[in-house]
Parts: sequence; C-alpha cells; structure tokens
Amino acid sequence: MVGSQSSLREANRARVVDAVKRHGGLTQVELTGATGLSPATVSTIVKELVAAELVEVRNTIRSGRRAQLVTLAHRVGLVAGVLVGARQLTVAVADVSHEVLAEQVLPLPAEHRADTSLDRAALLVVDLLERVGSELDEVLGIGLGLPAPVDAASGQVTVRGILRGWDGVPVAQVLSKRLARPVFVDNDANLGALAESTVGAAREVHDALYVRAGHGVGAGIVLAGRVHRGVAGTAGEIGHVQVDPAGNICSCGSRGCLDTVVGDRALLEPLRSSHGNLTLSDVVRLTNEDDPGCREIVADAGTVVGGVVAGLATSLNPELVVVGGVLAATGEVFLGPMREALRRRTLLQQVTPLEVVPAALGTRAELEGALALALQHTDLLEQPDTGPNGPGDVAVGQVRTGKGNR
Amino acid sequence: MRGRTPLLALRQVSRYFGAVEALVDVDLEVHAHEVVALVGDNGAGKSTLAKVVAGVLSPSSGQVEVDGEPVTISSPSVANQLGVASVFQDLAVCENLDVTANVFLGQELRGRAGLLRDGEMETETRALLEHLTIRIPSVRTPLRHLSAGQRQAVVIARTLIGQPRIVVLDEPTAALSVAQTAEVLTHIQRLRELGLGVILISHNLNDVRAVSDRIEVLRHGRNNGSFPASATHEEILAAITGAA
Ligand SMILES: Nc1ncnc2c1ncn2[C@@H]1O[C@H](COP(=O)(O)OP(=O)(O)O)[C@@H](O)[C@H]1O
Ligand SMILES: [Mg+2]
Ligand SMILES: [Zn+2]
Repeated sequence: MVGSQSSLREANRARVVDAVKRHGGLTQVELTGATGLSPATVSTIVKELVAAELVEVRNTIRSGRRAQLVTLAHRVGLVAGVLVGARQLTVAVADVSHEVLAEQVLPLPAEHRADTSLDRAALLVVDLLERVGSELDEVLGIGLGLPAPVDAASGQVTVRGILRGWDGVPVAQVLSKRLARPVFVDNDANLGALAESTVGAAREVHDALYVRAGHGVGAGIVLAGRVHRGVAGTAGEIGHVQVDPAGNICSCGSRGCLDTVVGDRALLEPLRSSHGNLTLSDVVRLTNEDDPGCREIVADAGTVVGGVVAGLATSLNPELVVVGGVLAATGEVFLGPMREALRRRTLLQQVTPLEVVPAALGTRAELEGALALALQHTDLLEQPDTGPNGPGDVAVGQVRTGKGNR
Repeated sequence: MRGRTPLLALRQVSRYFGAVEALVDVDLEVHAHEVVALVGDNGAGKSTLAKVVAGVLSPSSGQVEVDGEPVTISSPSVANQLGVASVFQDLAVCENLDVTANVFLGQELRGRAGLLRDGEMETETRALLEHLTIRIPSVRTPLRHLSAGQRQAVVIARTLIGQPRIVVLDEPTAALSVAQTAEVLTHIQRLRELGLGVILISHNLNDVRAVSDRIEVLRHGRNNGSFPASATHEEILAAITGAA
C-alpha cells in the first residue's frame, strides 16, 4: 500500500517534470492541464521539486498578465546552441548541467543567407529565453555550428562556395553583436565529434572519427580526446575528397568530390522519375518503411562513404567510427555497407578491428556539440558569479583564445 | 512521377467580381505529399483562388478536378466532403471556448441523443496536437490564453478533423513572431509528411522557399511562372513584380 502510493507519487512527479521539460516553462494552471493532475497535487509536487532544486518558480508575464512560471532549475547560468543546417535552423537553450530547457526548429530555404538566418537565430534565442523565464544576461555563451569548414576564431567559412550566402561573413562577430553575448563557432561535424567524444558513443575512446552524413558528408576527427581542426578548419572535410576524377564539378570548385556523389542532390536525382519530389527526410522515412528504391540509394551511399572513411581511418588509425547525420537514422541500411567497406581494408583489422557504431546522440549530436562548445569556453572563464553582471562583461575576443581545447 | 493524377487541379479557372478580373484562366495542380506555394502581390488573386477551392466562391468559368474527376465545390461542406480543408486569413476562433471546442467548431461529434461526445473530442484533439507535435499545455485552455502562434496551430489542427487530403492555408504566418512562424512551418512539413497536399499562400518568400516543393506565381489574377523550391529569391520576385 505504502509502496504503491509512493510509486504513484513518483509517477506524478515525473509527469510534472516531463511537462515542464516539454514546454520549457509552464504556469501551475497550465501544469494542471498538461498533466491532468489536480491543482492541489500540482502545487504540492512543485513545492517538493523546488525544495529538491529540480525546478524553479520565476515571475514572468504570460498573455499580458503576471504569472509564476515553473521551469527546470537553471544551474549557475545558461548557454545557447545554434545549429545552422542546409535546410533548417535549430536553436536550444540549456543550463550548465547540459539540460536542454527549450528548443525550436525553423525550416530554412535552400541557399539561405547569413544576414536573415542570423537575425532569425537571434530572435529565436530571445524567444526561447522568454519561454523559460530567463533573460539574455543569464547566458554565458552561445555555440554555433555551420555546415562548412570554418575558422574557429572568426567563425568565417574558410572555403568559398560550399555555403553560399555565408561567404566572407564573420559569423561569431555578427551574432555576438546582435545578442551582446560571446559566440563560438565550429563546423557541424566537429561539433558532433565533440559531443560524441564527451557524452556519446566515443566517450571512452581516445582516437575516433565522427562521420556526419546528411545533406553533405563531413567528418570530425578526435585525436587523443581532442577535436583536430587543421590550419584552415578543413580537417575531416571528407565531402571534398575526390571519388570520381571524371565526375561533376563540386560547390568547392574541384571535380568529383564525395559530395557530388552522395550529397542530397546526388541522392535525390535518381529517385525523381520513380518517386517524384522527395526531400532527404522523405528518403530516410521511406527507407525505414522498406521502400526498395530508397534503400538502394542509401545503401550505395553507405558503400561510397565507407570507402572514403576507410582512407581517412587508414591514415589516422582510430579505434571507433561513430556515424551521425540524418542518413544514420536509417540504421544498418547505411551503416552496414559502410562497415563492409571498412572490413575489406586489412590495416583496419589489426589489434582491435575498427568498429562502426551509430551516434549515441542520434541526429542531436551537433546541437549538443554546439551547447558543449559554449560550455567548454565558459569553463575556461573564472567560475562565473551568477549575479546580474557576471560573465557578460567578457569580450568576445578574450574568450576565444582557448579555441575549443579542453 | 508517383501519383500522376493530381489530388486537386484547377483548369483555366476564372473568377470575376463585376469588372474586376480576380482570376483569369488559372491552372494549378496539387499532388499528394506536396506543398505548393501560391505567391503574388496584394490583389493578385490568391485568396480568391483559396475561396474557390474551399467552396466559398464559385468560379465564373473553368474546371476544378479532384482525383482527376470534375467537381463542383458549391459550398464549404461540399469541400469538406471532397477532402478539402481551409484556413483563412481572418482566423475564426472563439476566444472563450477551449482548444477542443475550437478544433471541433462546427464539426462537433454528437451521440445518439444529440449530446456532445466531449471525452472523445478531447482525446482526439490531444492525439491531433501530438500528431502535429503542437505544444499546447492543455486541450481545456480557453483560446484567449494562447499566443498567436498557438492559435494558428489550433486552427491548423482543426483542418485535420474529418481526415482531409488537401489543406489550404491563406497567409498562416502573417503577423507571427519568428518562433511562432517556426512552429507553423514545422506543422506544414508535418502535413506533407502525413501525405496531404497543401496549398500555402504567403507573402514571405523565405517561409515559402523553406517548406514548399513548388512555387506558383499569380500576377493580376493570371499564372506568371512556376518554380522549384530551389529557385532563388530574385527569380521568384521578378515573376511576382512582372520584371521577368
Ligand atoms: N468579394 C469581392 N468583391 C469584389 N472584389 C473582390 C472581392 N474579393 C476580391 N476582390 C478583388 O479581387 C482581386 C484579388 O483579390 P484577392 O484574391 O483577395 O488577392 P490576394 O489574396 O492575392 O491579395 C482584388 O482586386 C480584389 O480587390
Ligand atoms: Mg489574400
Ligand atoms: Zn568539393
């Protein structure tokens, strides 16, 4: 009897915490609706959760009226993550314990431009903060990921043409001007590698490759536990390794790059006559629904990507290959042929055969990496005091000298 | 092409208001699993087209087809029967009714004695919101407590009552914040994923290019170009203004 009562209470507590997580912040009245619990139960549970420092109650304005918002406890301060993708922008706000408090996805047009997309990113950050009852001055830093090689210091894309619309833009400076917070920029695959090597599938491994297969293909290289970026930030850009000397000219200007063979356009084109107008997510969904044509396309891509990863792995001798990006959401359809391509290479089978595993963080790896990047930099600072003028005073340039080293 | 017969087709549709040529010989096709954007300057005829499809206005001439069969969409209820649901610019929501009541507005589920089947409607509303990944704390919240974005989401959820195959959205992101726009665009992607055909009317080329498969331009009530989503802002703008 006592046991079942306490487990009921546990379940109710979990319902309240889940609802708060899902919405970012809710008033107690909203919590009643969201959980189906009585106002009295909600009130008791909220008190308990506040005492346990799991949630906080913040004064805010809701629909023009004062309200008390229940949010997850914001430990010490907040960080924001911004992930710029080929066709969508994702923004998240998390506390320093890496707990995501609120998140929003905005679909983007093809070949979106830095000015409008960064404006929108800034507005989304502010909106998410409002959703969790916080303000900009609680934000210690912002991590931003771009689907192109970048110079970590300026956040500028280093190879023209790969992310048209962003060329020549000092991304870190532009966004930190909009939000008056320090902004740290890295390549998306590097961020995936950072997240997977700190809290994901490669956390117990020193040397690993993170392969991100989505609209394009990129890799993040982890050596001795640190992400290796290279002098121009192009380390791991396997999307621009030549696989077809007689192939098409790539967005980077070279001929027959991997991206011209397995990039989104290359994957979608052969499906057009049979399947009509598909997006990459359609292909993933159809593959998972066992559509033979889509499976064929994804599996062949796995073989080609595996071949290129084999080359990189032969040079670097990692212990593990972690595969992320939206194509990895097809599971073994993509990973199987990749693994097969690696198995054929003798050097990769020595001492401990190279393993291929899906990203533990799934398609969230890059966003988690963006949050981790911001956290990493804030770790470099003096432990910030949580007061109103705490860490906000640090200038962008000062903070960035660490360049993502842990 | 998969689904060669469009779900919905307009063939040479015209609509006059006295001397005003709101639509002149307009062609439009919408397939299942496709978002077709309709763009054009103010007064280009976009809302008129939406109302023709929704059964609010009848065409002066021309043919409307559903599944390749000629149809006469003589009223909104005929539109519903044909699987067409619409959301207009002036959102018709009831401020003091809750989310469930608004979702089922005018299409309430009733039992034998004519009593409202409240529990069922609530369950279905919850399922719909979940389905569209709409974040609204409670289906019992009165609409006046919701943000503009959440209201728009309720109205989009409403279109799914009666399992339509075609959804027409007239300016669904007008007057919304970026975050609210983000939500609505995500819902539109979801409608497409569910296999519906969507007509998206909007001024905002950024929004339109983000979620559409195809972009159709109207100018002075006439077709003035058809573009893939990969078309540039400038190309589409030129067709809208007539510079092309
Ligand atoms: N009920 C009506 N009576 C008279 N003229 C109308 C009516 N509705 C629309 N119009 C006219 O038809 C043209 C197209 O309008 P509309 O379809 O609302 O354009 P849009 O939605 O593209 O801005 C405009 O010139 C408008 O003034
Ligand atoms: Mg209109
Ligand atoms: Zn290239």
